[in-house]
Parts: sequence; structure tokens; C-alpha cells
Amino acid sequence: MTEEKKDSKRKQHIISKLLKATIKAVIFYGIYFVLSMFLTPISEIVPSFQQTVELFVMVYISLMIIGELTRGTVFQHFFNTAKVFFVMLYLIFSLKRGIINIPFQNISLMIDLRLFMAIAMLLSLLGLAKCMLQAINYLNEKAGEAHFSSL
Amino acid sequence: MKIPIRMISIATSFFWFFLIVFYVSAVYSMKDVQFGFEEPQTMLTSRNQMLFCLPIKIDNKGYYNIGSFNVTTKISDKEGFPITQGSTFIPVIERGRQTTVTHNVTINIDDLFQNSQDYLFNDMELEVHETVGMKLAEVIPIQASTNFSMPWGAPLYNFTLGEIEYAICNLTHVTVTIPISFENHAFFNLTGSLRMCMYNSTSVLIGEGQTRIEAPQNTFYQEHVELTVPSIGITEDGYLEVYFSTPFFNSGPAVIPYD
Repeated sequence: MTEEKKDSKRKQHIISKLLKATIKAVIFYGIYFVLSMFLTPISEIVPSFQQTVELFVMVYISLMIIGELTRGTVFQHFFNTAKVFFVMLYLIFSLKRGIINIPFQNISLMIDLRLFMAIAMLLSLLGLAKCMLQAINYLNEKAGEAHFSSL
Repeated sequence: MKIPIRMISIATSFFWFFLIVFYVSAVYSMKDVQFGFEEPQTMLTSRNQMLFCLPIKIDNKGYYNIGSFNVTTKISDKEGFPITQGSTFIPVIERGRQTTVTHNVTINIDDLFQNSQDYLFNDMELEVHETVGMKLAEVIPIQASTNFSMPWGAPLYNFTLGEIEYAICNLTHVTVTIPISFENHAFFNLTGSLRMCMYNSTSVLIGEGQTRIEAPQNTFYQEHVELTVPSIGITEDGYLEVYFSTPFFNSGPAVIPYD
């Protein structure tokens, strides 16, 4: 009987995690969907723009779902950190030092996104600091629990 | 520790949201900004400089102001030698406002012909490098640039001297008639004078003549210059020095041999 209860609790826990992950992914995708409508004119000028953003959204959502599913374990922090690193590397590689040159017909278009990149990098570093604090906090709590259970 | 972590979470989420919404809306609002490049005009200034005027109409119906709007035109020859440059700058175009600005580029024709007589006698293509830059929402710098070529019409295109005719004037002098012809391909009417100096084979000046030029644009001009020269100084060959003097430019000598 106790085992059955434990099993059902585990199942409920997994279902709630899945639900949370799904809701988060849907909300994130919804935000992307709304923003992508505003960015349609850019996609017309830069054909690869939509593919690049879609790849980013796909990987980010995947990491978000995995992070959510591993919630309550140390792996959650690994995936959260990986998510932050992914954002930073993606920005560095896709924005090419912040100055983007787009050839369009016989016009050369240059967009300077260095300020955006600098702010985004600072926010990513802040996110990284948050992940580190969360990991430290998690390990601290685990150590505390182990200490009290040994008493 | 949980409270600081939550505070960092809230702060980063807020800033990310603000940053993305601001940049996306700034770029999106560009679709409501209209640029109208009207018919360019070419004219001559009171200082006899050639002036290109390009009226630009900017209708900013976007969400944000546009900052540091500038248009730069650089004109150079085929080899990349700079001829002239002009810039127009507007510090701020407020949202909901319509602004019209005239972008001017001047070319000093006299200096141009002093640098090279090719511009005087040969049609050619000039390279134009056009750059339009601005700051979206006064924060995001963008720049569009393009190159195109512009035809240059020579005012003395295909300048040629016809068969020189000699007529006896008196016992000591001969009247030399030199037919001249050219096409005025320039955008302006050519009025002025042409002076011709005749030298014999030993580079001695033997005669000088002058004629008035009146060639409206895109017309063929044909006239002759008469010189009275001493018959003793005439040789079979020699050369002519041609000087042009108009309100826009002074040029010469163009050395043309004869035989």
C-alpha cells in the first residue's frame, strides 16, 4: 500500500513537471510567435534570419524543458547554466561582434547592434551568476539535509 | 539566499523583456517611416559652381524619433580619384513629423577642368557613392550605402580642327582660317570665347585669333577662327594652342599639332 502511494506520488510529481515544462514551452513559443510577426519585414530582407531565430528558439526550448524535467536535482543547474552559455555563444556567433552587414539588391545595409549585444551579455552574465547561486544554494541545502539525517 | 536569487531572476527577466521589446519595436516601427527621394536638379550657382540638389522627404510615422539622420554623397572618377563630397545632417526627426531636406553637392567646374582636360573633351562615367545613416529610436545606428555611376557630358565633346585654309592678305601677311567644331554634351549652355595661338615648327608664335562661342546644351557647334600671320613665319607643320574662357571655367592651353 505504501509502495503504491509512493508510486502514485512519483507519477503525480512527474506529470506536474511535464505540465510545467509544457506550459513554459508554450508561453515561450507564444512570445516568439508574436515577436516573429513584427520581424517579418527583416525576414524578407534577410532570408536566413528566420531559420537562425527558429534554431535558437528550438534549442532554448529544449534546454528549458530538460531543465524543468530535472528540477530538484543537480542536473537542473547544469542545464540552466548550459542555457545561459548557449544564449551567450549564440549572440556572439550570430551577431558577429555586433555589426551586421546585409547585402540587399545593390544596397549594402549595416546595422550596429553593439549596444544590444553589450546589454545582452551583461544580462547573460547576471543569469550565469544566478545559476551559480542556485547551484550553491542547492548543494548547501543538500549538505544540510545530509547533516541532519545523520544526527 | 533564496530571496536574492529571486530578485536577480525578476530583474533579469524584466530587463530581457524590456530589451527585446524595445529593439523589436524600434525595428518594426521602421516600416512606418517613409523616405521620398524627389527628382534631382542640377544648376549653376552664382559662384559658377555646379550644384546637385536632391530633395528628400522623410515622414516619420514610427513609434520613436529618428536621430542623427545623415546623407553623404561622394563623387569620384573611374580611378577612384575624389572629385567632390557633400553631406546633409538632421539631428532629430521627431515622431509624427514630416521633414523635407535638400541634399546639396557642389562641384567646382573650374577646378575639375584644371585637374584633367578629359572632363572637357570626353564623355565619361562618374562613380557616386551614396550613404544614408540614422539612429533608430536615437539609439540603434543603421546605415545603407550604394554605388552607382552618373554620366558626365563633356562641354567640348569631339573638339576637332578642320582643314586649315590659307589666303593671301597682303604682300607680307596671310590670313589663316581654322574651322572648329564640337558638341556641347554638358548640362549647361556654353558661352564664352576661344583664343587660338599658332606656332610654327620652331615653336615661334606666328599668329593669334579669337572667336566667340555660343553653344546651347546638346547642340553641335561649328565655327572658324581667323588669324593673320606673317607669310615668312609659316612652316609646313607646327602646333596650335587653344584657350577657352567662359563664365564657368577657364581652360588651356590644349595643344593640337597641325601639318
